[in-house]
Amino acid sequence: MLEFDGLHKAYGDNQVLKGVSFTVAPGQMFGFCGSNGAGKTTTMRIAMGLARPDAGEVRWQGRPVDDDVRRRIGYMPEERGLYPKMKVGEQLAYFARLHGMGGAAATRAAATWAERLGLGERRNDAVERLSLGNQQRVQLAAALVSEPDVLILDEPFSGLDPVGVDSLAAALLEQCRRGVPVVFSSHQLDLVERLCDAVGILARGSIVASGTVTELRSSAAGRQLRVVVPDASDGWADLLPGVRVVSYQRGDTVLELGFGADDQQVLAAALATGRVTHFAWREPTLVELFRDAVSTPSAVAA
Amino acid sequence: MTTIQTPQSTATTEDAVRTAETTRPPSSGALVRLVAGREISTRVRDKGFLIGSAVLVVLILGMLVFQVTMNSGGDETDIAVVGGDAAVEQALIAQGEAFGTDVTVVPFDDEAAARAAVEDEDVDGALIDPSGAQPQLLLETEAAGAQSLVQGALTSLSTAQQLSDAGVQLQPGPQVQLVTLDPDPEDRVQATVVAVVGVIVLYSLIILFGQFVAQGVVEEKSSRVVELLLSTMRPWHLLAGKVIGLGLLGLAQILAIAVIGVVGALAFDVVELPGDVIGPVVTVIAWFVLGYAFYASVFAAAASLVSRQEDLGSVITPASMLLVVGFLIGIQAALSPGGTLARVTSLIPGVSPMVMPVRQAAGEAAWWEVGVALVLMLLAIAVVIRIGGRVYSGALLRTGGKVSYREALRAER
Repeated sequence: MLEFDGLHKAYGDNQVLKGVSFTVAPGQMFGFCGSNGAGKTTTMRIAMGLARPDAGEVRWQGRPVDDDVRRRIGYMPEERGLYPKMKVGEQLAYFARLHGMGGAAATRAAATWAERLGLGERRNDAVERLSLGNQQRVQLAAALVSEPDVLILDEPFSGLDPVGVDSLAAALLEQCRRGVPVVFSSHQLDLVERLCDAVGILARGSIVASGTVTELRSSAAGRQLRVVVPDASDGWADLLPGVRVVSYQRGDTVLELGFGADDQQVLAAALATGRVTHFAWREPTLVELFRDAVSTPSAVAA
Repeated sequence: MTTIQTPQSTATTEDAVRTAETTRPPSSGALVRLVAGREISTRVRDKGFLIGSAVLVVLILGMLVFQVTMNSGGDETDIAVVGGDAAVEQALIAQGEAFGTDVTVVPFDDEAAARAAVEDEDVDGALIDPSGAQPQLLLETEAAGAQSLVQGALTSLSTAQQLSDAGVQLQPGPQVQLVTLDPDPEDRVQATVVAVVGVIVLYSLIILFGQFVAQGVVEEKSSRVVELLLSTMRPWHLLAGKVIGLGLLGLAQILAIAVIGVVGALAFDVVELPGDVIGPVVTVIAWFVLGYAFYASVFAAAASLVSRQEDLGSVITPASMLLVVGFLIGIQAALSPGGTLARVTSLIPGVSPMVMPVRQAAGEAAWWEVGVALVLMLLAIAVVIRIGGRVYSGALLRTGGKVSYREALRAER
């Protein structure tokens, strides 16, 4: 288990983190979401020893993450960084060695990863001569080349074209299957929804929601029901007990059912108006969950 | 969750098992070695470095050739002799020794040929008919040295002849044993010249390699690779690796120059005694190590404050100024190695590496002065590494604008 436990961090008067806690299981893909400046990067930098928390700690397999553990973590910083004049292959081998690989193994791993990420032919080129997309791949390869036990990636998908996104996603899923916990931050919530087993939403310095996307949905305040009744006139559901009408749109009705409201009663009322072409619980998208979680002033941690 | 089936999944599981066995956390020493190794291998392939090194070697060779041409003929005298015998030749050589010059006697058959040789400057002078009643010395221009040398030789020959004719048996006089209280000042001059050349090389190399250290620090900051590096190591690993790696390269270079210089100087007879050149060279190399450690640390700390190569000049200028001032004083010290300026500055850390070697070579530095200079320099290095290391650690992850020393020292990660 990779545990982030009660992280606090202030820069001067600016309290960036106010008790960030979440857990990532081995083989789990954890999507880390939050508005700009919410503290995602600071959280990841604390895990990598690049920032010191005022309180709290990060643990891997029950043990606080120290320098030795950190060398088993693959990291991709938000600010991409590579030696511009160093060749791709040599650079990857260098990072592998910094993570503790022997010389020969590092060279082999560098070749393997360059090949796997489609950089085989650019191995002897200086990084600065590569396109931005390819530099991004080298950056990812630098995080993966030491076959790390944990992956922490800050905005790995930003700046990638759809094909790049797919190949990066495939590479990350492969790591998950190896049993590696993967934490990545992203603004692309559709991507997070598609890839991640678990999601954490960071707002105002703490995790306001975390769990699987399904869990988040079920715990979302106010469950919504969409009923399409083409023949009904607006106001057909106004008097149903425990039901709040969100919108009417020529028969396309969205209702919010309070605690104890009976959905079967709603169905009966709908049938009474005539034809019912659609009757289903509305699944909020992650974007909606995110908006809800981020905008609600009171914490709704799951 | 999307699942993408790849045929590699089983292979990677094996990879994971394999690497888990072969990978272990590197020790501090291993990390420093890795960083140093990268610095060296990157530098030795760098065109700027190769050109810089070649220029330095060419400069040293040029100085040697200059010395050789300046010296040639100075300590050697070629004398053409027409109609002389072995006794004349011996007398000339013996007299030459007294004058401090190697005399070579070139026999000529007639006066015209000898005259031509003098005019062409093939020989320094021509002695005609030395055994006759009226010997003649031909010189290109009047030179008292050559004249008294030849006059002395002929006088002693004639005296010996007259005494022998009178039946006096000459006994060699007692051999005087030489005891020097102050070693030959001539040797001191040579040693000082060697030290000055050494200080020029020392200064150039500290500037060159200090610059490399500073540029390397800024490169890592400006490319942001430093964040990735610091996720695997401590700032001091990175700093030590960089300074040591480039330092070894600098040491290799000064050693190469020293070997070329010493071998060349001895081979071309620029200096007579190996001690005159080897002593100052060893001193200069020792001071190079100290000077480099000092300036490399200062430059690294200063460079860590900025994130762009363009801003580098503004932060390393103060340290560069100290280096330049030290260099100028060092050159000046060759003229008055016992002067107050040289005496005081040879103790000041940062300046001492360029002044003390010159004073030591000139024989003007007392052992305690060298000791004090060394202790002060070592203390300064310790302080610079300690404070510089803190500045470096504090400033390294602050990219963007220029960080002040105060901010860097206070910086908490």
